[in-house]
Amino acid sequence: MGKISFFFKEAFGSLRRNYFMTVAALVTVFLSIVVLGGVLVFVFTTDALLEGVEQKVEITVFLKTNPDPSQDEIDAMQAAIYPGWKDVVKSCTFVTKEEALQRVKDWFKDKPEVLENLTGNPLPASFEISLIDPQGVSMVAERIKSQFAPLIDEVKFGEEYTEALFGFTNKARVFLLVFIVLLGIVAILLISNTIRLSIFARKREVEIMKLVGATNWFIRWPFVIEGVTVGFVGALAAAAVVLVLNHYLSGWVRSAITFLTVPLDAVPFVLITVVLLGVGVVIGALGSAIGLRRFLKV
Amino acid sequence: MIKFEDVTKIYPPSTVGLEKVSLHIEKGEFVFLVGASGSGKSTFIRLLIRELEPDRGRVMVGGRDLATLRSWKIPYLRRNIGCVFQDFKLLTNKTAFENVMYALVVTGNATGASKKKAAEILSLVGLGHKAESYPNELSGGEQQRVSIARAFVNHPPLLIADEPTGNLDPDTSMGIMQLLYRINKTGTTVVMATHDREMVDRMRRRVIALEAGKVVRDQKRGGYGED
Repeated sequence: MGKISFFFKEAFGSLRRNYFMTVAALVTVFLSIVVLGGVLVFVFTTDALLEGVEQKVEITVFLKTNPDPSQDEIDAMQAAIYPGWKDVVKSCTFVTKEEALQRVKDWFKDKPEVLENLTGNPLPASFEISLIDPQGVSMVAERIKSQFAPLIDEVKFGEEYTEALFGFTNKARVFLLVFIVLLGIVAILLISNTIRLSIFARKREVEIMKLVGATNWFIRWPFVIEGVTVGFVGALAAAAVVLVLNHYLSGWVRSAITFLTVPLDAVPFVLITVVLLGVGVVIGALGSAIGLRRFLKV
Repeated sequence: MIKFEDVTKIYPPSTVGLEKVSLHIEKGEFVFLVGASGSGKSTFIRLLIRELEPDRGRVMVGGRDLATLRSWKIPYLRRNIGCVFQDFKLLTNKTAFENVMYALVVTGNATGASKKKAAEILSLVGLGHKAESYPNELSGGEQQRVSIARAFVNHPPLLIADEPTGNLDPDTSMGIMQLLYRINKTGTTVVMATHDREMVDRMRRRVIALEAGKVVRDQKRGGYGED
């Protein structure tokens, strides 16, 4: 019988013997990690929603009308913006005067009287520019203004509300992050406390092992294996529940909030599963090792 | 084997455990440590296995100054000291055989030969037929035999017994004493703390009497009280 198989035998033996403690620890791990995982899913979904809102932020560049810029000037400007600034610009669409007029006609198709008095096409051509990072919108707008001043009539990007929007989304993200960190701490404390309790119940056992001349690691290994097992099994069950929950939640979000798109990959399943399992295993191991520390001092 | 040089141990704030104790116990001796509760017997034993460290003075075991022992080496010291206690200190979730085996496995000795050794030593203490029993299925005397088997299975040069018969009736105690006596015969030094006046008087071994942490008597072939 090798040492390692002895450790495993000891660990699983005592998991079985102290089944009440084992169940208590499993339930604690399971619940803590379900909550943690649920929050992670919520955070990823919310983040995707926030991003969707942010993606609505666009720069519209209205070109001069009298006279209209030449096609060469327009082509040069478009190329300069995209692919010229492709590090920051996601797309740059040119909207011709005719397209602009058609849009206006579409908007008012129920009230044709509005357009009755329209003669010719007074609308300017424009570029609609979306950004990779919408938070840089005002910077990019400034650059466009200064670089293409002779061609431009007006640059619009909803200055008045983008600032408020990004203020909100940034605060929301900080809030979510703090929430995750706090919940992570709660989970860690809860799990390691349960493990500590189960070790405390076996204080005498540890004391005897020390008296017989067991080294600290010899005593520690079975406890660590126990902790890892409980952490892993609890986290595995929790991860399964979280993923099922996410399936329903994301379906519900998509049907409830149709004006925003939640991409299918908003919640990284693999990452979440790995994180949850990692949290379970690491806390299980650390909880046991740390819980033992004070009894090993004799 | 054991040497105390001017050893003092004070429990904070001011309870005296031992005070200026100097003594020498030779290899192969059988020594009774007598005295009332609180006289310092347990302190003496806990110093020997480095559960405690003295405030002053030196404790030497097997020629080694325990103060210089690094804490990670303490387990190796304890493997060379068999310990028997009043409350047996058996692992309740292990059988008699597994309890004895544990002392061997701890040292990295978990081979077939060591299994045979554990079985043999259980037979030696008269429990060969109860190897698979759990502590709660054994009588007090039987549990103490298991604990002695565990203490002795590594053939330690030193065996310490702290009131090993404290919880046992006189007949059972006699059996335990004979076991310790036999172990002593194999060359193992035995130090036994006890209250058992009759036992000490009958054995006529070296007696070290403690009172309020001081050695008040050290007699080669003594009795429990003054002769």
